Amino acid sequence: MKLLLALLLVPLACLAEPATVIRASELKKEPATDAATLAQLPENSAVEVLERAGGWTRVKSKAGEGWVKMLALRFGATAKGGDSGVSQLFNVARTGSSGTQVTTGVRGLDEQQLANAQPNPAELAKLDKFAVDGDAAAAFAAKGKLSAKTVEYPKP
Amino acid sequence: MTRALFLVCLLALAPSAQAQFNLRDLNINKLIDTAKNVGKATREIDEKDEIAIGHDVAARLVGAAALVNDAHTQSYVNSVGRWLALQSERPGLPWRFGVLEAPQVNAFAVPGGTIFITRGLLEKMRSEAELGGVLAHEIVHVVKKHHLKAIQKGAMAQLSADAAGAALSNVNSEARSKLVSFGTEIYSRGLDKSDELEADRLGVVIAARAGYDAYGLPSVLQTLQAMNASDSALALMFKTHPTPAERLAMLSERMQPTLDAYSGQPQLRERFIQQVKVAR
Repeated sequence: MKLLLALLLVPLACLAEPATVIRASELKKEPATDAATLAQLPENSAVEVLERAGGWTRVKSKAGEGWVKMLALRFGATAKGGDSGVSQLFNVARTGSSGTQVTTGVRGLDEQQLANAQPNPAELAKLDKFAVDGDAAAAFAAKGKLSAKTVEYPKP
Repeated sequence: MTRALFLVCLLALAPSAQAQFNLRDLNINKLIDTAKNVGKATREIDEKDEIAIGHDVAARLVGAAALVNDAHTQSYVNSVGRWLALQSERPGLPWRFGVLEAPQVNAFAVPGGTIFITRGLLEKMRSEAELGGVLAHEIVHVVKKHHLKAIQKGAMAQLSADAAGAALSNVNSEARSKLVSFGTEIYSRGLDKSDELEADRLGVVIAARAGYDAYGLPSVLQTLQAMNASDSALALMFKTHPTPAERLAMLSERMQPTLDAYSGQPQLRERFIQQVKVAR
């Protein structure tokens, strides 16, 4: 069980990420519904996210550390993270000699770039080289110990 | 109305309107073509035409951002995508998956089975289950023909029924480029919110069918939620999709039993990190 749990744990890219409990939730000792309840976390409690296991997230709260349902959390309690640098990148690239913005040479997928896109069938043709057929996909899945299941869609 | 009946009606009506001008110049063949095109504009688009429309739209998208120049990563993403697509109701489409060289965080489904994900989004992911969750969402858009239906609706709204029918079924028709431009614009305007939420729900099912931890997609949505909402890399994706909070709330409300039943399936974090490290 311990090994299994260890395999399920996802160390978050950034430890102690802030989040808010979006509905009153039980803080559990283990990531399971039938585990002991350590405390009741009221709606809007601030927590720090430590790791995830299946549908559970281990958090640090005022009431101590424990597990809450993953979907009971809203991430990004405070404004953070800044900009990925996309706009800066484009600002540099768009500097035209006349001071007007030109986008030549810079490609990407914002609204304007989509609107200006010209067809590139040669680039699209490259995609065929990477195509994977059904047999190869099944072998790939088996290698990762993925097995197909029958799962119904939810009722509309 | 059946196609034949429609044709009869058109043939019956049209001459009476034009007869008083010049019956001899009436071109019956053209009239039949028109009636055929009108039929095509309103009928369900067949798979061959769907693939051809998708091809033209996809050519525009790769005109905006080229494919990441890394065959290994591209093949890996195709393996994950094809395995997921095999669990869908359209396993036989010519599925193609591509990573685009763009810093924006986004993914795109094109009619006929072409799916793109940006490098910006791939870099935010931590496991194959997360990649699978996003690709499964896009696969649902193709299976449910969300974009195709939007393109057809747009063609009917912007073109005459005759021109729309021709543009949908004939790559050489005059209105084709207008149709393809409209098809590309959908990625800037977004689909109906209900289509996006449906793709989330059914995408979770497809990921579970493929044997992945069903929490892959919700995890990515939480990652997006944790990012600064004003980050310019998110602008287009946030404009064209419901907020991560709304999407997560819907999944929590509708999909919790499925998510929990398949939360113990593999995430394949190590394989993901190994296979895409070259792209980082």
